[in-house]
Amino acid sequence: MPILIRRGWEIPEARVTPEHLVFGRRKAMLAGAGLLAAPAMASAQEAAPLRAMRNTRYVPGRDITGEREATTFNNYYEFGSDKGISRPAQRLPQRPWTVKVEGMVETPREFGIEDLLRTMPLEERVYRLRCVEAWSMVVPWTGFPISALLEVVKPLASARYVVFETAAIPAVMPGLRQSWYPWPYIEGCTVAEAANDLSFLVVGAYGKLLPPQNGGPIRFHQPWKYGFKAGKSIVRITLTDRRPVSFWEQIQASEYGFWANVNPEVAHPRWSQASERVLGTNARIPTQLFNGYGEFVAGLYTGLQNERLWA
Amino acid sequence: MPWRDRTGAFSPFKAVVFAALFLPALLLAEAAWTATLGPKPWQAATHDSGTWAIRLLLLSLAITPARQILRQARIAELRRMIGVACFAYVMLHLVIYAGDLAFDWLKVASEILRRIYLTIGFVALLGLAALAATSTDGAVQRLGGPGWRRLHRLAYPIAALALVHFTLQSKADVTEPMLMAGLFAWLMGYRLVAPQGGAPSLPVLLALAVAAAAATAGIEFAWYALATGINPWRVLEANLDVTFGLRPALWVGIAGLGAAALRALPRRRTARRPAEA
Repeated sequence: MPILIRRGWEIPEARVTPEHLVFGRRKAMLAGAGLLAAPAMASAQEAAPLRAMRNTRYVPGRDITGEREATTFNNYYEFGSDKGISRPAQRLPQRPWTVKVEGMVETPREFGIEDLLRTMPLEERVYRLRCVEAWSMVVPWTGFPISALLEVVKPLASARYVVFETAAIPAVMPGLRQSWYPWPYIEGCTVAEAANDLSFLVVGAYGKLLPPQNGGPIRFHQPWKYGFKAGKSIVRITLTDRRPVSFWEQIQASEYGFWANVNPEVAHPRWSQASERVLGTNARIPTQLFNGYGEFVAGLYTGLQNERLWA
Repeated sequence: MPWRDRTGAFSPFKAVVFAALFLPALLLAEAAWTATLGPKPWQAATHDSGTWAIRLLLLSLAITPARQILRQARIAELRRMIGVACFAYVMLHLVIYAGDLAFDWLKVASEILRRIYLTIGFVALLGLAALAATSTDGAVQRLGGPGWRRLHRLAYPIAALALVHFTLQSKADVTEPMLMAGLFAWLMGYRLVAPQGGAPSLPVLLALAVAAAAATAGIEFAWYALATGINPWRVLEANLDVTFGLRPALWVGIAGLGAAALRALPRRRTARRPAEA
């Protein structure tokens, strides 16, 4: 019995970003400049612009991945277990959106996404993203270091871990019907890792608001770790003294560990991590230790050699 | 020639099926040519060709049940070309996989040796190569009927290996491999219950449908229990929830009931073909 499964990339012509938008972004941005305050119905194609100065400290060293590739090839199990979830993900309401920051902090708070956009020090950073599945992309994120947020709530000295919880809204997330997965999606890192300047809360991509399939309205990214560590559509950030067991670690602990730092020498149980496919190109390039961010983060792991740091 | 029947006459039936077997490869080539395979085209093509190989392998195992249930002897004429096509798709699968590794054949070989799911898949490929190589008229004659049949019973363990390979390479979602495993369970069960040379009765086919569906749920339960941290009871329970689409056990049950329904069709007069003497 042949079963036709529609692959993610089989999108109708109508969903391709119109040429005049791709090649006339400046104009489109000017036209949309006043819309920032009311992007309620923004979808991937008509996301409101979000401009910020580019941080030149972190250079990607390779071409930025096409916006179309980066926004139509997404791991987001809440919407489905293949990569083609960009369309169903549009149903995730982006406004109103709040992020609770609680647990071991002096002043627990709930932030509206608009408040974060207004008060946090937004900048653009072009990050390499290396997926544990041996593919990578380069994305211009807009966002702010999570340390800026943590300064506001003041973690207690006893807090050791930061836990990120993804939204779980059954009405719009069909994947939640797969009731055997340990929803909601949980990820986490240590407070020391979060304090690193690279640890970035992302609210935009390609100069626009972050589309839902990429984790809009707010996601996390630590570019020296495999991509699954980067929680999407975050609704809660908890500081705790207990190491969290993440979504993927619960499902398959042998393949997805807590630290998950990129290392070409340490193979995944099912494939080599020595090289990676660059999304949208025909290139397969060598993978770098810490995804090439070692100079900024290697120091975080001195004295942790006994931990399973690499996968 | 695949488009001729045993008497050497042109057979439109066989010719149509023969042409259809090229269709998945042509569609794949078209998608590659028009760059619609997505941002990771090599991997997408690897998956597509491999999935078709498994579908064709199961289809070749479905020939005997189909012939007996439908009482259409000529269906048997399709088995060889479907089996050989399956091998062709497996070779395509291997070549595309090598392409994903930039045709670094040393790397391909070391990956096959080092990753158990690739080793298993490669053993299945070698088995299919042996079956394909002995699929010529000459080979059948040299081996003799019984010897040839014994050798080609290897198709069953090869299919099992292919399904293990398919399941192991999946990430967390094993829906499609489990569906295939369930259909394979039905095909094997059919061979257990079919009387010599004919189809089982309707009640037996109904029972087989239920048993194959239960086996699918059981295989799935065992997979989640042994290979993942997921609670297998939650998976088993989810078979009762149809809101996310039907789960593999239900599809297998439906396919089994479909086979039973075909069995219940009134017997057609065998007017088309003169009695085979």
